[in-house]
Amino acid sequence: MSVSESLRTEAAALLADGRVTMIIASRRRGHDCVPGFFTNADQLDALDHDPDQQLNPAAYLRKEEIRRQMPVAVVARPAVIRSIVLLAAESQITDDDVVILGVDGQTFHGVLDLAAAAALLKAQYPDLGPDDDVLARVDELNAMSAEERAAFWAEQFAKCTRCYACRAACPACYCTRCIVERNTPQWISTAALEHGNYAWNVIRAFHLAGRCTACGACEAACPQGIPLMLLNACVGRTVEAEFDAKVGYDPEAEPVIGAWREEDKEEYIR
Amino acid sequence: MKALDTAKLSDLAAALAEAGYRVIAPVSDGEVLRLAEWTAGDEIRTDGFAVNSIKDILLPRSEVIASATIDGDAFSLTDVPVEAPKTVALGVRCCDVAALAMLDAVFNWDYEDAFYNARREATTVVALACTTCDEQCFCTSVGGAPDAAPAADAILRPADGGAKLALETQTDKGAALADAAAGVLADLDVKPDPPADVPVIFDAEAVTEWCAGNFESDLWQAVSLGCLGCGACAYACPTCHCFDMQDEGTRTAAVRLRNWDSCGFGLFTQHASGHNPRPEQAHRWRQRVMHKFSYLPERFEVLGCTGCGRCARLCPANVAISEVCRQIDQEAKAPAP
Repeated sequence: MSVSESLRTEAAALLADGRVTMIIASRRRGHDCVPGFFTNADQLDALDHDPDQQLNPAAYLRKEEIRRQMPVAVVARPAVIRSIVLLAAESQITDDDVVILGVDGQTFHGVLDLAAAAALLKAQYPDLGPDDDVLARVDELNAMSAEERAAFWAEQFAKCTRCYACRAACPACYCTRCIVERNTPQWISTAALEHGNYAWNVIRAFHLAGRCTACGACEAACPQGIPLMLLNACVGRTVEAEFDAKVGYDPEAEPVIGAWREEDKEEYIR
Repeated sequence: MKALDTAKLSDLAAALAEAGYRVIAPVSDGEVLRLAEWTAGDEIRTDGFAVNSIKDILLPRSEVIASATIDGDAFSLTDVPVEAPKTVALGVRCCDVAALAMLDAVFNWDYEDAFYNARREATTVVALACTTCDEQCFCTSVGGAPDAAPAADAILRPADGGAKLALETQTDKGAALADAAAGVLADLDVKPDPPADVPVIFDAEAVTEWCAGNFESDLWQAVSLGCLGCGACAYACPTCHCFDMQDEGTRTAAVRLRNWDSCGFGLFTQHASGHNPRPEQAHRWRQRVMHKFSYLPERFEVLGCTGCGRCARLCPANVAISEVCRQIDQEAKAPAP
């Protein structure tokens, strides 16, 4: 059975049982595979697996229109499962809100609850993270002087139009009022100019410290081709090393950015 | 007719630059095509579609529209000179040009926008007719055509299987440009290539009519579920023009900026009281479609969509306004029980 067929069969069963009221999956449209939201068994013929999906459907779990439909099922590849686990760890969803239809390329991992999905990650995908070529570029950047690195990023951020597609595409960006939307005072300039662009991109990366699951949705979403995965990997790799923590594997884990432990290293305080 | 080799388009650009025009044309930027300032050595691409639109020339992402200084008790406003260098938009698609009628109307409606008008006046628009299209193109569904640009000053038509470009002037500004480029144009007997076949996929009039009576329809929720609420579509769109004013300054100097904004953002209609009349994406999508297909036609008799398809190509969630319009058209013709 193809992954698409498995998904359609399981989706039909989930809807029939009333276990979920909506399936967040993909559908065919012309030559593309696009996000699809299925609430009825007779819509399921259009459900199609997208093995090349770059969007992270966990981002939909912050939308009120979707939350009202919970419990929902989400077709999730490993990076997306990590995001769903993160949302649970940060109390944005509970065990009862989401059923996971695990996929990976042409493999169907079955219908999973949160615990089973986390167990799958630990068992079969223990080393998820940025690609080796991204990590190699992180090393290159770290080898530069601070001035060279700043100049590199300044050139990248000059392209930013402040469309916030990166934020919209990211499941970890669920703040109802983002820092750029705060205006008493206006912490970050909203103009698509150098000073604001630098601050926006760096602050978003900082707010993702220990929370980014390297899904790549932000970089795929960016209309200007800014290497956001590289930026997030720079922060993410340091956090993993300094705090010995890998996000998205344990729904009970305290987020590194929000928790303090006595044994946390303090070497960077100089 | 006046024509040149397609491969020599850079020579045309050079001649225009020599004549004092700032040349904006579709050039390669890594793997994408971008409408950007041409400099000698850049290849002007006629075989693709720029990710950005003519809007970028007429309404920049961010511009200073007022500035002030404070010196002790003395507050003084400084005039901001409008930057409007003589420009040629060389090789913009007909769907970009179709946006001009609407932008001209909005920026000269209840207030004549000096900044927009100065740049508009200073720009000579040379369209490029399309001989191919992709799945996201739908100019013919919104009253446009791949090979007609009535608001352009001139139009370049691919000819002889794409080997040549015929230049047809349409206004005095276009004629002046052709004069400036006389050295690179020759009188040739060329055969313009057939225009792209862009299938009509919905009835825009039916959409306009349906919108007027269906403000409360459930359809808005259904079509907007996939939307993540970013501004990629509005920023790429040649007709989207909404802007945000921001004052930035120090204790001694300030500027007022006009920045691009998007009705897709949650904050767009957020009131200081905390109330938001468009609290969910469905309300914001309703606004997007109605502004383009209902309010603008009502006020200016012009649609706010030219069928360029940039929104759909760039959308991180593959939401396509053409698909939404198709669904509205279907709903209008055969309403669900």
